[in-house]
Amino acid sequence: MIAIIDYGLGNISAFANIYKRLNVPFIIARTPDDLRQASKIILPGVGAFDYAMQRLDDSGMRSSLDELVLECKIPVLGVCVGMQMMATSSDEGVKLGLNWIKGVVKKIDATKLAHKPTTPHMGWNQVSPKKDADIFAGIDDEQGFYFLHSYYFTCANDDDILAVSEYAGHFSCAVHRDNIYGFQFHPEKSLLNGVCLLKNFANL
Amino acid sequence: MLRSRIIPCLLVRDKGLVKTVNFKNPKYVGDPINAVKIFNEKLVDELIVLDIDASRDKREPDYKMIENLAAECRMPFCYGGGIKTVEQAVRISNLGVEKVALSSAAIETPELISHIAAAIGRQSVVVVFDVRKTLFGNYEAYLFNGSKKVKGDLLALAKHAEHLGAGEIVVNSIDNDGKMAGYDEKLIRLVRDAIDIPLTVLGGAGSLNDIKKVIQEHKVIGAAAGSLFVFKGVYKAVLINYPSIAEKKALNTLTN
Amino acid sequence: MLRVKVCSNCVMDTSDSKIQFDENGVCDHCNTFYNDIKPHWHADEKGLAAITKIADDIKREGRGKEFDCIIGMSGGIDSSYLTYLAKEKLGLRPLVFHVDAGWNSQIAVNNIEKIVDKLGLDLYTEVIDWEEMKDLQLAFFKSGVSHIDSPQDHAFFATMYKFAEKHKVDYILTGGNYSTECVRNPLEWMYYQSDSRQLRDIHKKFGTRPLKNYPVTNILWHKIVLPYLKGIKLIRPLDFMPYQKEQATQFLVDNFGYQRYAQKHFESRFTKFYESYWLPNKFGYDTRKVQFSSLILTGQMTRDEALEKLNAPAYDEEQIAHEFEYIATKLDISVAELQGYMGAPNKTYRDYKNQQSIYEVGAKVMRVFGLEKGGKR
Repeated sequence: MIAIIDYGLGNISAFANIYKRLNVPFIIARTPDDLRQASKIILPGVGAFDYAMQRLDDSGMRSSLDELVLECKIPVLGVCVGMQMMATSSDEGVKLGLNWIKGVVKKIDATKLAHKPTTPHMGWNQVSPKKDADIFAGIDDEQGFYFLHSYYFTCANDDDILAVSEYAGHFSCAVHRDNIYGFQFHPEKSLLNGVCLLKNFANL
Repeated sequence: MLRSRIIPCLLVRDKGLVKTVNFKNPKYVGDPINAVKIFNEKLVDELIVLDIDASRDKREPDYKMIENLAAECRMPFCYGGGIKTVEQAVRISNLGVEKVALSSAAIETPELISHIAAAIGRQSVVVVFDVRKTLFGNYEAYLFNGSKKVKGDLLALAKHAEHLGAGEIVVNSIDNDGKMAGYDEKLIRLVRDAIDIPLTVLGGAGSLNDIKKVIQEHKVIGAAAGSLFVFKGVYKAVLINYPSIAEKKALNTLTN
Repeated sequence: MLRVKVCSNCVMDTSDSKIQFDENGVCDHCNTFYNDIKPHWHADEKGLAAITKIADDIKREGRGKEFDCIIGMSGGIDSSYLTYLAKEKLGLRPLVFHVDAGWNSQIAVNNIEKIVDKLGLDLYTEVIDWEEMKDLQLAFFKSGVSHIDSPQDHAFFATMYKFAEKHKVDYILTGGNYSTECVRNPLEWMYYQSDSRQLRDIHKKFGTRPLKNYPVTNILWHKIVLPYLKGIKLIRPLDFMPYQKEQATQFLVDNFGYQRYAQKHFESRFTKFYESYWLPNKFGYDTRKVQFSSLILTGQMTRDEALEKLNAPAYDEEQIAHEFEYIATKLDISVAELQGYMGAPNKTYRDYKNQQSIYEVGAKVMRVFGLEKGGKR
């Protein structure tokens, strides 16, 4: 059973609708009890880092999540701010992240852009996988995915970089370590590629 | 590489889709849910739906309709119309809408932009300016379907919205609306120079070539259109259409 | 439980309760085809000569006008291929006419666009008021009858005729054809969609808003007044020329970028749901039997092929729950309410006011004058 974490941020319905149409069983998790049924977890997120970390703490699911992900090694997929929360810290805020994948979230350096617009990085962009990953199987490389963010993840270990994209320089748009996956783009809003990736995650 | 977004923009009035010319004479175009479903299957980059009477009629947004539309979108969905409070914006965001668009509220209570940005992130806050040309060739913003003029310089208003936390500006030419005779390229240049955040232009696109021109000039931009993606031919027959993947690729290929 | 008896020649069976079998086990649908339709159906040089003459009349009468005829286009194979033939083979200048009842599939919209663009034709669309359409469709669901697609079909014809009358267009071309439709849906399955008395009665009993914008026609109007008094003629060109469904489809796929549908009438999401799921599951009526039987009689499918296909349901079992939900959402009702209609008692057209007697008289007259072969029963 896939648990989609509802801590107040992120497009829960979009993930739910996709898994519904794929006939993949899922639950919207709002309490630690809900999480108990999870064989896989989706951690959505939009908005500011500190606010998201606060909401996650307030949800009461934080320690269950840590346990499930770090000890039980349940596969988890973080999206956008959900991915950024997996870092050690973020330049956007003062709170500490989940530290599931060591790294720092930095602000996109708009001075590196050749022309306007600057931030947010908004629109469809291509994604280049750095290592072989089943999660990207069947993806149309030219189509890419939809991005909507002003900060990006920098990994402490290059081994954790799953894919890169280009905007104001190359940046890690996907990270992966063991059972933990993080995507900066929005698979729940990336048409067929997104559905494919979420389906691959369900089939891992 | 980041591509320009090509965005169908749908207007809703009385639960039905309409298309206007110069914001007047709404022509009935059909049921929103089926239209959105078709656009989703046509793999559009993004979609904008605007309820054009909600603010003027002082009505709440139609949450059921928004939820139903969001459920059909596997791509980002921007909704605007009648949003006046942070609670409404958050509620709409939780229904599965990526971006909320503010129009009259952004002018009447500009601090709302900052508050909504704090709640759902600036990337999800869009400010829409409906614009008319003056006799002297300048531009002014209007509210409530072009019925009430806004005091103040349009570019200053746009800069202010950016400063307050908007993540995107949509500029809509009332003069070119529904005419299908091309975007107002001068207006686009003025606003593009004034702000740094993503810009989406609307009003006047009559062919894919109009979109190509605006992408060529500005490299990365949101090119939105209503009539172009909803009408076909001299009789303005309602038929939803959108460029194919190959056509979109050609539109995004910069020649310099 | 009564054993189902299947025709030995086609695949119609006793789910058509009025079916009759001869001493060889051949049903009356087949015999009507062999006796009444086939002998008079000329899709050869004779047919070509006849349609060429009609086309000449159309061109002559349309001289100086913006278009000389209108073609009812759904995006399905019949109307799409007809449009190609009308322009390229008959040299006509048609206005392509489409009625949007709110249920277009993406494939239909794509096909209409491709055909219209490639042939360089003009398109006119009439969009039916969705709020009224929705209410009328719900009224039909509530009535319990089997012909719940009447609102779409009725609107289609009413709109076309109104347009033709208003713009003084003398010729309407439709994709109706014997090749794929020589066997008709039994009346019991799909009663006459043009019966306005039935439509109005069901609307009166179960509708909640007035029919102000919805186009209502009636059988006397479009079978007598329009053709005989106003001179508007309905032509079915596909009956005059060889028309093979698979060959026509492949031709359009190869030359126009046409996309195939899983089954006939699937251009409309509602019709797809209605014919593949609602009708078979609520009433036991499978329209594929009618369609396949037509293809069997015209040599485009074997009986074995048809029986094989009929073994599986017409709907996608994995997706049907989602389709059901979409239909309910679009009609602004809950899934439970729609399921309620599914489980409600089955009614027939006889439970509501109707003009069937007029149709019966009319059909007899038409047959006597050789104006119509076969026809619904």
